[in-house]
Amino acid sequence: MSLFLSTVLMLCLVALLASGILCLYRMLIGPKAADRAVAFDSLAAVFICIICVFCIRWDSVLYFDAVWILMLVGFLGSAAIAKYLEKGRVF
Amino acid sequence: MPSFTEILVAGLCLLGTFLIVLTGVGLVRFPDVFCRMHAAGKAGTLGVILVVLGATVHFAGTDQDIWMRGILAVFFQLLTSPAATHLLARAAYLCDYPLSERTAVDELRGYLPSRPDQVFNQE
Repeated sequence: MSLFLSTVLMLCLVALLASGILCLYRMLIGPKAADRAVAFDSLAAVFICIICVFCIRWDSVLYFDAVWILMLVGFLGSAAIAKYLEKGRVF
Repeated sequence: MPSFTEILVAGLCLLGTFLIVLTGVGLVRFPDVFCRMHAAGKAGTLGVILVVLGATVHFAGTDQDIWMRGILAVFFQLLTSPAATHLLARAAYLCDYPLSERTAVDELRGYLPSRPDQVFNQE
């Protein structure tokens, strides 16, 4: 891990944390449920990116499979919230 | 002097992070829920794809099957993210979420029946 790459990754991490805070702010003030669902979706994207950055930083593929899990959880969460908003029930 | 692979990984990560930051800014600043979905659905997807590709390129020399995992993650994100955003947009439109005052044209008016009696619509 060279100094160049670790500096860039730390910069990415700070920017991703700032973006996550923005998503949390929208989730807090979002006027209705759909705004919060959108904020949750992009918060899942931010977490995926943070996991990838930590994978590169630690030189380990151990956590790379968590990307799958987070994608699945984000998609299922958004689909369930959308179904509930539309029909009043999930199934 | 960093190697070519490191420069490629750093470029991919920086570009993806930039798009994710744009998603956060768009989420906070855009006026209504459909504009926010526009920001989160497009820039967020491309940002995640770029960062995952960066991690894949970084591990491509040491791990043999990382290409398959990375490409499948990209494919899965491309498959699910538009579907989730479309479902949410349809549900929000059916529940009569207010459009911005600056909306020029609403092509779905009269085609989709609105459901104003929903649970979350009464806040």
